[in-house]
Amino acid sequence: MPFTAKSGKFNAKINTVEVGTGDKAIKLGGENVFPFYTFDDAIENAPKVGIEITDGGMENEPECVQNLYEGCTTVVDMAKKAVTFDGVDFLSIRLEGGDPNGKNKSTEELIQIVKDVADAVDVPLVVCGCKNVEKDAELLDKAAAALDGKNAMILAAKEENYKTIGASAGLAYKQIVGAESAVDINLAKQLNVLLTQLGVDAKTIVMNAGTAAVGYGFDYVISTLDRVKAAALSQGDATLQMPIITPVASETWTVKESTASEEDMPEWGNLEERGIDMEVETAAAVLAAGSDAVILKHPESVRTIKAMISELI
Amino acid sequence: MAKFVTIGERLSTTAPAVNKAFTERDPEPILKRAKQQLDAGAVYLDVNIGPAEADGEDLMKWAVQLLQSNFDNVPLALDTSNKKAIEAGISVYNRAKGKPIVNSADASGRIENIDLAAANDAIVIALCNGEGIAKDNDERMGYCQMLLERGMELGMEPTDMWFDPLFLVVKGMQDKQMEILEFIKMLSDMGLNSTGGLSNNSNGMPKHIRPIMDSALVAMAMMQGLTSAIVNPNDLRLMETIKSCDVFKSNTLYADSYLEI
Amino acid sequence: MALKGLDIFKLSPKKNCKECGSPTCMAFSMKVAQGAVSLDKCPYFSEEAKASLNEATAPPMKTIKVGTGDKEYSLGGETVLFRHEKTFVSRTRYAVTVCSCMDDAAIDAKLAEIKSVDYERIGERMFTEMIYVNYAPAAGKEKYLELVKKAAGLDRVLILGCEDPEVAAEAVALVKDQKPVLNGANASNYEAMSKVATDAGVTLGVQGADINELYDTLAALEKLGNKNLIFDCGVNSVKEAYQIAVQFRKAAIKDGNRTCGYPSIVRLDRLSGGDKHLQAALLSLFTMKYGSIIVLDQMTYAEANPVYGLRQNLFTDPQKPMKVEPGIYPLNGADENSVCLTTVDFALTYFLVSGELERSGVPCNLIINDAGGLSVLTSWAAGKFSAGTIAKFFAEQDIEGKVKSRKLVIPGKVAVLKGELESKIPGWEIIIAPREAVQLVKFMKEL
Repeated sequence: MPFTAKSGKFNAKINTVEVGTGDKAIKLGGENVFPFYTFDDAIENAPKVGIEITDGGMENEPECVQNLYEGCTTVVDMAKKAVTFDGVDFLSIRLEGGDPNGKNKSTEELIQIVKDVADAVDVPLVVCGCKNVEKDAELLDKAAAALDGKNAMILAAKEENYKTIGASAGLAYKQIVGAESAVDINLAKQLNVLLTQLGVDAKTIVMNAGTAAVGYGFDYVISTLDRVKAAALSQGDATLQMPIITPVASETWTVKESTASEEDMPEWGNLEERGIDMEVETAAAVLAAGSDAVILKHPESVRTIKAMISELI
Repeated sequence: MAKFVTIGERLSTTAPAVNKAFTERDPEPILKRAKQQLDAGAVYLDVNIGPAEADGEDLMKWAVQLLQSNFDNVPLALDTSNKKAIEAGISVYNRAKGKPIVNSADASGRIENIDLAAANDAIVIALCNGEGIAKDNDERMGYCQMLLERGMELGMEPTDMWFDPLFLVVKGMQDKQMEILEFIKMLSDMGLNSTGGLSNNSNGMPKHIRPIMDSALVAMAMMQGLTSAIVNPNDLRLMETIKSCDVFKSNTLYADSYLEI
Repeated sequence: MALKGLDIFKLSPKKNCKECGSPTCMAFSMKVAQGAVSLDKCPYFSEEAKASLNEATAPPMKTIKVGTGDKEYSLGGETVLFRHEKTFVSRTRYAVTVCSCMDDAAIDAKLAEIKSVDYERIGERMFTEMIYVNYAPAAGKEKYLELVKKAAGLDRVLILGCEDPEVAAEAVALVKDQKPVLNGANASNYEAMSKVATDAGVTLGVQGADINELYDTLAALEKLGNKNLIFDCGVNSVKEAYQIAVQFRKAAIKDGNRTCGYPSIVRLDRLSGGDKHLQAALLSLFTMKYGSIIVLDQMTYAEANPVYGLRQNLFTDPQKPMKVEPGIYPLNGADENSVCLTTVDFALTYFLVSGELERSGVPCNLIINDAGGLSVLTSWAAGKFSAGTIAKFFAEQDIEGKVKSRKLVIPGKVAVLKGELESKIPGWEIIIAPREAVQLVKFMKEL
């Protein structure tokens, strides 16, 4: 007797959100099954992989990543190079230099970088803020305006600044609005409700429901993503049917496994290998928990995760 | 667990305005009441056309098509003692948003409505009573078993039979209230769905008391595992209680705006 | 399962004779489902019905034990599909492959590599717990048996990958006291292999050309009476292995299909096509989705650090907080003169606080108290993070002997401790941190 399984396909599905324009535009979401469960139903849009650069250019990157951008001097050079790497679906620029507690670069300076990058590449763009909610309100508002017509993703609106960012990115400039909550499923839902109550089209919202490197409280990430997908699909909760994007690189390249030098930790071996595997294993785990897109840093990680996705879909 | 299913009860011939509109086939009052109920969060709408012995088939078809065409195929409970009218309603019913509910079968005169539901792949509300009100839970369970067996023999999924324990009026039968609640728990333990005319408990009470009693009862009944009720969705207190209980039961995920969605 | 009472009722005699003491068969079935009364109370239940009910009330997934002593591992026994429903009980175990087709130098290097990864993370020893010893017929039986003996010397659980029942019998005989797994039953040899495994009392790994053949072979082995089994997700493709791992787990737990209710082996050594980073990605994927044993080409620190962290997170009890080891954690190249900060041992607090402190770049010593794994306010309320416990901890750990700095930053949420701390650990300047971890970067820079 052959094996027969009950179908795990749901009546509800994740919203399909298109990011970018033209041939290179990508679609996130659309699935009515759990992650990679193609045996339950076809998954039309495979999860997407983005590559991350920052306003800091080369100086912000670990040495192993710098080597792969050899010859680049400006952020724009890096952007042009980044999109040529195998498997890149979209480009993410993180404006971490805007942090008032860090370099505190001016909004004008950063927006000029965003504009230059946007002019230099034709892949979909994701703009990430500096994590300071007040500065991000200003920065991402201006970024949404600067990218008018690009259908870019603005990452992200938070509980503290969703009104400004939602009004600008969602209403005025019709960009894709990222809604960020830190492993708090009730807040993830609430933020989606608040954004839609503001008038943002639910079909233009993408969630960042929280992230961590594996081993660093990642249990909360797993359960948050598992529960978001369960509510969206099995309970048909429309306020959680937004696709999920997870910035992985910004978490994994700061932990000691990816930063401790070979002199300090000789038994750990090659530092680049450790950095790549930390990024790749975290990315694979968030995809297995339901993320529809991941943002990575190392080109080898991008290639690897892309290869894993194509093996599974 | 699935969300609690509210069946809006306000389209009933017992309301003179509705009766008049049904008789005259006047869409406006019907649509207005339907919209009020759906806006308030009703999932199903009950369409009670009364016995409708003369023109039941025509009337039920008219009502089903009117409501489904105006409200995106809203799922309906077809409520009449006229079997032919129910069949006629199902013949024009669109299932996109949920199966039709046959309201209702019981263990005596209306047991054939089980057959009707089974033949039409419909949900059926199965009243756990025979002639008169059951004297205790053993008798209720006997009826439940009889109805369940009949449905299962005809190939129905047990979950398509929504058992009605028959809520009893407090004024007069106060001592029976806990028994009904215990019976709901028995149904729930068996994995069965349940529903009923919950507001019957507060019949004859002052108008301002009824929402309070209905809300308290729905909370207790949901605790016991009640999965649905036939209610007035425009009773704000009741609907807020149901939404809150759905949160406690993790039937929906909490968000600060949960009452608004 | 919700309809268990109904399932019993379906098989009941439906006589309503009351001899069992219940008014109806339905009521009786319900009580049986709740475990309130035994099925034997009914004189009319057929033996057949009883047998099928006993099957239905068994746990959905078997717990299979392999290895012995402190190297005995439970595999399977899960009751849920997601960790938020209930704690996953049996950690994924990892194996590295050696093959009799390899030359001696390669084998020795591999065995040395297996031993090299061995460390502790949050109170748990992390190492490659198993070795997959693969039989290559072309290299001959003797070489394989030698390899099995050699691998057995590493004190790891062995998985003997061998489809030849005669060779398998000899190999198993060498190490059967260590309770290895014999992986090699398939549609054509399962009877002989089952005999080898049951005679030696070891767990049998089952393979199939596809999901249906695998399922049929499992069913055939069960029919022979062998239920000490593990299924192999195959080597055809990643997609098919994932399908088998997920669908069998789902079928066992949600649909009560007992034939699927065994632990799994995932052969990443064969599925990764020599791409070590892809292997790392799949290692993480199959740890998340239902690999009981994952077999790898290599497990160096690069793969191990993340995956053991992931496993530790995945298999924690969602109700129980994870604790970090109390002690002094020097950050950003801190030395004995660097400022000290103190907080609790709740893992999430530690990761948040240490992350922000690292982001600040300011050298500092983070002193983690033993606070029962609770968050700052909870442990404070429970009396586990008070001036008294901090002072006691400082004395026990000889903090004053280990650091020279006498500046101590305490969490903003327990600012109330300042006065009392100043008297309990005299000589320390007590500084109050902001209430939220994200504010630490600015705070540290301005300190």
